[in-house]
Amino acid sequence: MPIFDQGYQHWSGELSGHAWRWLAITRHGVRVGLKSKLLRIVLFVSWLPALVLAGALCVWGLLEHKSSMIDPIVQFMMFVNPQVLAEPRAYRLEVWTLCFHFFLQTELRFSMILVLLVGPSLISQDLRFNALPLYFSRPLRRIDYFLGKLGVIGFFLAMVTIVPSVVAYILGVFFSMDFTIVPETFRLLVSTVVYGLIITLSAGLLILALSSLSRNSRYVALFWIGIWFVSGISASVLQGVEREHQLRSFAVHNPSFPPASQWRDARRLREERRVRLDSWQLQNSRTDWRPLVSYTENLSRVERALLGTDNSWRKLSELLPDDRDVNHFLVDYAGPFYPWYWSALVLLGLFGLSACTLNFPIKSLDRLR
Amino acid sequence: MLFQLDEITKTYGSVTALNNLSVAVPEGAIGLLGPNGSGKTTMIRTLLGLIAVDHGSGEILGMDFRHRQLDIRREIGFAPEDECLFPRVDGVGFVAYAGELVGMSSKDALQRSHEVLDYVGLGEARYRKVESYSTGMKQRLKLASAIVHDPKLLILDEPTNGMDPAGRDEVLELARDLSRNKGMSLIFSSHLLPDVEAVCDYVVVLGGGKLLTQGNIRELKELHQECFEVRLKADMPTYANQLSALGCTTEQRDDLLLVRLPQGSSSQMLWQTAADHRLQIRYLKPRRSTLEEVFLNAVEKT
Repeated sequence: MPIFDQGYQHWSGELSGHAWRWLAITRHGVRVGLKSKLLRIVLFVSWLPALVLAGALCVWGLLEHKSSMIDPIVQFMMFVNPQVLAEPRAYRLEVWTLCFHFFLQTELRFSMILVLLVGPSLISQDLRFNALPLYFSRPLRRIDYFLGKLGVIGFFLAMVTIVPSVVAYILGVFFSMDFTIVPETFRLLVSTVVYGLIITLSAGLLILALSSLSRNSRYVALFWIGIWFVSGISASVLQGVEREHQLRSFAVHNPSFPPASQWRDARRLREERRVRLDSWQLQNSRTDWRPLVSYTENLSRVERALLGTDNSWRKLSELLPDDRDVNHFLVDYAGPFYPWYWSALVLLGLFGLSACTLNFPIKSLDRLR
Repeated sequence: MLFQLDEITKTYGSVTALNNLSVAVPEGAIGLLGPNGSGKTTMIRTLLGLIAVDHGSGEILGMDFRHRQLDIRREIGFAPEDECLFPRVDGVGFVAYAGELVGMSSKDALQRSHEVLDYVGLGEARYRKVESYSTGMKQRLKLASAIVHDPKLLILDEPTNGMDPAGRDEVLELARDLSRNKGMSLIFSSHLLPDVEAVCDYVVVLGGGKLLTQGNIRELKELHQECFEVRLKADMPTYANQLSALGCTTEQRDDLLLVRLPQGSSSQMLWQTAADHRLQIRYLKPRRSTLEEVFLNAVEKT
């Protein structure tokens, strides 16, 4: 046979087992996704908060060691309570928790953008180009297909939540030069990873379900934006209306202007009224269901529960000189305080709905037309 | 045995797609024939283990199709009838991905992808986006992705649909080469009988979800001892008239004369009549049924 013969040759290589077959779909999806310049830019930008997180943890580590390297930085840390700066080791867990919290809050927005860029086309394009017969005529189960597609979302979300958190954590531990920090803060690392998985499962399955409903990925993208923005705006509007209603109701029993006989104590009364209002708002916030309407707020609530953010805020609030300001501080910075499992239930419901949706349309499509 | 189905029944609601179908087929190039709704596609789905049958059992490549679907699909290459694409990839990426889905390593799949694209004649277009391929190129791409893992059995469902004559010939040549020279078994489902005849040695004819007939094409095309195809050097009408006068039935088809002899006559009558009128017989052959006749006869029986 001439060496340039390009006729058919038999192949005698090894085929891998079924267990990791979904990984081929994930690999392919990631390769195709990374061809998008816009996606690469968003990935790059979403790593910037990770740099800030890593920087903050490193600075705190050096602060604990009273390193002179960070003296120029300390003078810009006016926003931090001087007592915290004086005893950085005592507030290590709280500071780390809040650093991770702010980081994950920022990354939640990037996660939504990444899902918007990657997710809509995952199944809808397969439907549009009739690729399902090509998948299911090969040794793949439906679960392999979904796992593979979910893996694509998981990869990109892990790149902006789990991976930078782990890297920042390791850098933070390294710069603290004290490995006893690990048992104290390990919960944060685990919580971050668990939270990354929750976002992946929840947002991933939701976008896959939406993607399976249309052959046009633009409609899916619009739907996703709807879920993200419209649910968020609706929750804000509902909360605003409720707040208005509460203030009016509060004002009925606590008039803004004291009676003329008490004008001499007007300032004190106004202060007492403010304290009562803060306490009342804090109390109402424990039963206010309106934030549940927002998809991202639910994710955020679960994140706060995992990290223990509210406890950190409470500990920091103890540093306030006046006890009466604690509630005000908590209302401003922490919360909403409704039970975290309400949000978990909402996310679980969406998860179940997504799984049912996926099962329904794909079930009919794995028949070769 | 390539595959064997025993008393398979599959219904979709009130429609019975396969009706107590039993068939056993040897290895080789198998043509799957049948009118629309005869159960061809359902049979292919059954062989691939994509649907659960209501009743019956069977084996394909020695494996029970009800329990070893994934193993069966590893050994099969399938090119569906419809236009199917993995979107947003080039030709080489498409075929390599198909290989990875079967379980090939990325490196092997890529290397093999280049080989099979050269084989199906898409070497020049391998780096083009598949969405820009013509219909013929897409058919060849599907063929390439079906053979990337060197399957034991290749199933082609209407592989020449929408192709121009030249492209059709190329695909048929590839299918023929794979089945005859490369030892790959083939199930070739098509409505185009000449395509099936050009590629396959054996046919299975389905109708109404049942097996109408099956067998080696050459054997099915029965030999008619009293019917001959004759070609003369000249004056076909005179010869036809003379034979008619002797009790033969004649029919002219293109440059051939189809002659049915009366009971008890032999081909000697044809030679004698030609000699009597000083006509030269250039071609004389007992007539065989065409595959079309075999198919129509089988369908008419239902």
